[in-house]
This record gives sequence, C-alpha cells and structure tokens, in this order.
Amino acid sequence: MASKIENIEKPIDILDDGKAPPIAEKSGFLPIETNWFDRLFISVVIWVAMSLLWFRFVEPMGLSIWISNVIALTLATFIIAKG
Amino acid sequence: MKSNTFGWILLAPTIVVLFFFGVLPFLYVVYVSFHQWNPFAANPNMIYNAAGNFRQIVFDSAFLASLGVTVAFVFFAVLTEVVVGYVLAQAFMSDFPGKAFFRTIHTLPLIIAPIIVGSIWKLMTTPSIGIIPHLLQSSVGFDLNIGQSAAAAFIITITMDIWHWTPLVTLTLIAALVSLPPDPFEQAQIDGAGKWQIFWHITLPMIAPAVMATVFIRLMDALRIVDEVLMLTGGGPGSATRYIGVHIFREVFPRTNYGYGSAISVVVLYLTIVVCWLLYTGMLAPRKPRKG
Repeated sequence: MASKIENIEKPIDILDDGKAPPIAEKSGFLPIETNWFDRLFISVVIWVAMSLLWFRFVEPMGLSIWISNVIALTLATFIIAKG
Repeated sequence: MKSNTFGWILLAPTIVVLFFFGVLPFLYVVYVSFHQWNPFAANPNMIYNAAGNFRQIVFDSAFLASLGVTVAFVFFAVLTEVVVGYVLAQAFMSDFPGKAFFRTIHTLPLIIAPIIVGSIWKLMTTPSIGIIPHLLQSSVGFDLNIGQSAAAAFIITITMDIWHWTPLVTLTLIAALVSLPPDPFEQAQIDGAGKWQIFWHITLPMIAPAVMATVFIRLMDALRIVDEVLMLTGGGPGSATRYIGVHIFREVFPRTNYGYGSAISVVVLYLTIVVCWLLYTGMLAPRKPRKG
C-alpha cells in the first residue's frame, strides 16, 4: 500500500498557477483577520440586524427606517475602510 | 492549458447547476419576500409591499414563539448529537466483538426518509399501541401522551432527531479520528498526560474543524426540520413543537401566503448564516496577535 502511494504522481493543484494574487488580509479594529468580502459581509449582517431591531423598537416611536439605513451605510463604510 | 483555466472548466457544470437550482430560486424568494402574494386571494397578483412583511415579522408573536422553541430544539438536539456522536466514534475506534455489526446497525437511521422516521416515532409514541408509552407505564408508571403534554412532545421530537442524525455525527467524527497522526498522542503519553488532558489539549483541537463542519451541517438541518415533526406531532400540542420550518409550511401551503412565508424564510436563512458565522469566528477564525 505504501509503495502504491509513493508511486502516485504529485496531484495538480488547480487553484495555484503561481500567478494568482493572494487575498489581502487586513489588520483593522475588528478582532479577527478579514479581507474586504468579510468586512462587506459583517456590514450586511449588521445592516439587516439593525433594520429588524429598528422595525421592532424604534419605528413605532415615529423614526423612519431610512435613518437606520443611513447609520448602517455609514457604519458599513467605516467597517470596510478601517475594519 | 493553464491549470487555472482547467480548474474553471471542471467547476463550470457545478457552477451552472448551482446558479439555476440554488442562486436563482434564492433570489426569487428574496424578490417575493418584498411582495404580498396570495395566488388564491381576491387579487392573485404580486403586490409590492417594500419591507412590510419584515415589519410584520418582528411583531408576529406566533413567529417569535416558533423561533424560541426552534432555538431550544436546535440547542438540545445538536449538542446531544455531537456529544453522543463523539462518544460512539471513540467507542468504534476501539476493537470489540460485533463492532462491524453494531456500526452497521447504528448507521441504519440515516438511510430512512424523514417522513418515515416521523411515522415510525408516531407509531412508537401513540398511547395504547406505542412501545414507548407502554414501557414507560410498566417500568416507572409514567403516562406518556405527546398529544396532551407539551413538554413530552418537545422531548420526543428532540429524541427522534437525535436518533435519526447522531449516526451522521459519529461517521464524520470517526473519519476525523482515523485521520489523526499517532505521534502527538504517543508523545503526550510519554510526558505523562492523562486521558482528559489528551482529549482537551490534543484530540479536540485537532478534530475541531471536523466538529465545527458537523455542527454547521446539523445546525442548518435542525433549523429547517419540517417533515418529521409534521408527521409526529403536527406542530402540537398547541404550538409546543411548531418549529420554524413547520411555521413556514403552515404559512405558505395551507394559508397560501407566499409573500409572508418567503419573508420568514429569508429571516431564518439570515439567522442561520449569522449563527454559523459566529460559531466559525468564535472557534476557528484566525485571531490577531495580542499587543504588549
């Protein structure tokens, strides 16, 4: 069995052609290493959570959901840029 | 041919199939979730509702109650499955008489369709004819009736899920345990580490990715449980086992409220993704080195 394994040629790594740029990991204020897509994902998650909580607790007091959207957009810009 | 291009050619059929059967239906559900749509109502057309369905969801007490019991169900079911699955995997790692037989027997629930699992457990738990109420009555004098007791129905649905899906956890953890290199364990034993220390400091960190993958699979499955529960309890008694999948089913099919049902589905998908992401971030994601 061991000799069979040794005879197998080196498998082709289809994702590594030696030219693909590495994904840029960034070190911002978030406690984990993130790339731009991670930070976009975190922003969308926060936006949806904020919207649902706004609908439940803040909108009945008369404040429009657009205020939440503006806050979420500002926060998203900050997270993507500095996160 | 560049290896990268070759890779994309190999991936192309999967991407095309995923796009048509995964991405497009998902986008359609998101689209429908922003509409009022009941094809059997006086106006069968889709009416744009903006975020109206989502506004309704956060005040829907039936939805919130259903979310609560679903979270409890998922927590107890998945936790028990992982613990029992690990114990069984460790048991199957050692040799004992009849090991192959028991391993086959314990895997059998996996190949049974969920609706059949529901009907089997319905037969086993029906008072007067079921084996479980009979045994409980004759051994400890407990009168099990899942049609009347909310707690009993809840516990029986969890037990059914554990019975059905623990073998999957066992199989994945066996695969993880088999692939572990022996060297760290030998070194730990030479250094005098106890069984608990070996488990906590060597086994668990090494199988953590497999455990997390299993937890994700089970978490997503448990969150969308419908057919087994619908068959066993129908979501009752009252709303004791009206899990989120059952709630969506009742909203979409008997009431044909497609828009609102889609909105609930989108919220549940959001919650599933967030929970999985938080688990991944908490357990596996690379952390920044601490300063100072």
